[in-house]
Amino acid sequence: MLSCGGFSYEKIIVENLKYKYPDTDQLALNDVSFEVEEGEVIGIVGQNSAGKSSLCLALTGLIPHFFNGAYGGKVLIDGIEVKTSTITDLSQKAGLVFDNPFTQMTASKYTVYDEIAFGLENIGVSREEMIERVDWSLKMMGIENIKDKNPFDLSGGQMQRVAIASVIAMRPEILVLDEPTSQLDPQASEEVFRVIQQLSQEGITIVIAEHKMEKLASFTDRILLLYEGKQIDFDTPQKVFSRDDLHDYGVVPPIFTTYCKAMGMKNKKTNTYPVTLAEVSSLLGGENNEWNKS
Amino acid sequence: MTLYVKQDSLIHEIDPITKVIYAFVAALLPYILPSHTVALIVLVISIMLLVVGKVFRKIIPLIGLSLFLIVSLVIIQGIFRPDNVTPLFHFGPIIFYKEGLSYGLLLMLRVINLLCAFGVLILTTKPDDLIQSFIQKGMSPRIGYVIGSVLQLIPQMSATIATIKDAQRSRGLETEGSLLVRIKAFLPLIGPVIMNSLISTRERSIALEVRGFNAKQKKTFLHEVHTYKYAKVIQAVLILIFIFAILWRIFL
Ligand SMILES: Nc1ncnc2c1ncn2[C@@H]1O[C@H](COP(=O)(O)OP(=O)(O)O)[C@@H](O)[C@H]1O
Ligand SMILES: [Mg+2]
Repeated sequence: MLSCGGFSYEKIIVENLKYKYPDTDQLALNDVSFEVEEGEVIGIVGQNSAGKSSLCLALTGLIPHFFNGAYGGKVLIDGIEVKTSTITDLSQKAGLVFDNPFTQMTASKYTVYDEIAFGLENIGVSREEMIERVDWSLKMMGIENIKDKNPFDLSGGQMQRVAIASVIAMRPEILVLDEPTSQLDPQASEEVFRVIQQLSQEGITIVIAEHKMEKLASFTDRILLLYEGKQIDFDTPQKVFSRDDLHDYGVVPPIFTTYCKAMGMKNKKTNTYPVTLAEVSSLLGGENNEWNKS
Repeated sequence: MTLYVKQDSLIHEIDPITKVIYAFVAALLPYILPSHTVALIVLVISIMLLVVGKVFRKIIPLIGLSLFLIVSLVIIQGIFRPDNVTPLFHFGPIIFYKEGLSYGLLLMLRVINLLCAFGVLILTTKPDDLIQSFIQKGMSPRIGYVIGSVLQLIPQMSATIATIKDAQRSRGLETEGSLLVRIKAFLPLIGPVIMNSLISTRERSIALEVRGFNAKQKKTFLHEVHTYKYAKVIQAVLILIFIFAILWRIFL
């Protein structure tokens, strides 16, 4: 693709990725290609079984190193080819967080602090650096107050933040999250979204599969729309959520988009509908009938 | 699940490996030297260590649990041991013999001694520290992980089962009553539980993988397992006693 004189600032490059789980006859990922730049926040959307989780696993090397099956195409994470690398090496490039907070706890540590250090012990980080990294992770996730608690005594939201802390302690430059709030109550979800945005501000590249479209619209740079393993679109939230055929792919746009569509309130310049409340109000507020992302 | 009792004591300060060696030597001595005196001396030492470790009261329920076994041992030996010759007393037609009772007493001392010797280890040593010491001595970290997680997950699973039972009860399913009735009520629920635990196992292995569980590097440890000043001396003395006991048995 476009790489000027070998220099490439793409953090993630996916080229014609195809994948099929063992003993199945349908491709879980069917010719997916996209590139993500450093510091971007990417949302993955699609109905159930669209391939969101599979893509998350492919970005972190679980596909093809944990799940076998038929694999084609190429995934480059920070210049490293996933297929020829290892999960351990990739874990220091791209961290993975998934939906179930409970199963992400190792179940072998008695305090949150030790839980977060687990990965660092495995990769042989020195004690001093370990302490520094664990303290940093605790602070980023705002969970210093629970560092001495047993991980299993925590609420779902706290546990999920411990899971994220454990992964970012490995100091990945990319964080992949697969529906990280789907098992949490609204307040806990809100907290988790807040810390994800904070990580984004730290410069970490974020890829997040999520069903809460209002949330995605408010903080992603681009949206990847999947349907039956195929990549339907990869564009700004405004463009993707303004598609007329969105319902055909089982995706419900943010409530604001649906509303504005019904009212015919379109941004004339970009020919898209607003996706957040802020955009709606700035559209209503006039300013030459234009709106800016805040 | 863990029996570890957090206390501030000399015994808690001793490193795990030394206590492991103590537990094995103390448990085996009364077998190597089958006399009441040896069993009694070792038992008294273990009890003293438990007292110094401020955990003596915790061992009593454990001994209590095994009391049934212990008492039946003494009775059976007292009545039926083949080399019984000297009658001591009788309940109606049942005669208790001196040889059998004496042997039963030895067995009893050995069992209680075993409990107390391992009690010193288990009650005063954090499971984490114990596992970590073994890993540092060369045990595979995977085995260490399995042991550690089993200790943590057993209480988790019993909590799950309790939740299921509550759910059954609130739906009017039988949780009391005959075994058959209970099994019938339990079966439809156990399916999802097994399914769940299989999925959890896969998810947990993914979570471990992405945290370097398969890393080829040499592991490091967040906590230093405290070393004990006199560890080497104590270990040497224990092993010498052990060797001496074996030699005594063979040659005397
Ligand atoms: N472990 C697995 N084994 C076999 N097939 C799977 C497995 N996981 C997912 N699939 C299949 O792969 C396809 C994509 O699933 P997935 O990536 O989980 O989608 P999503 O996360 O969007 O719901 C589905 O058809 C699903 O049935
Ligand atoms: Mg999924």
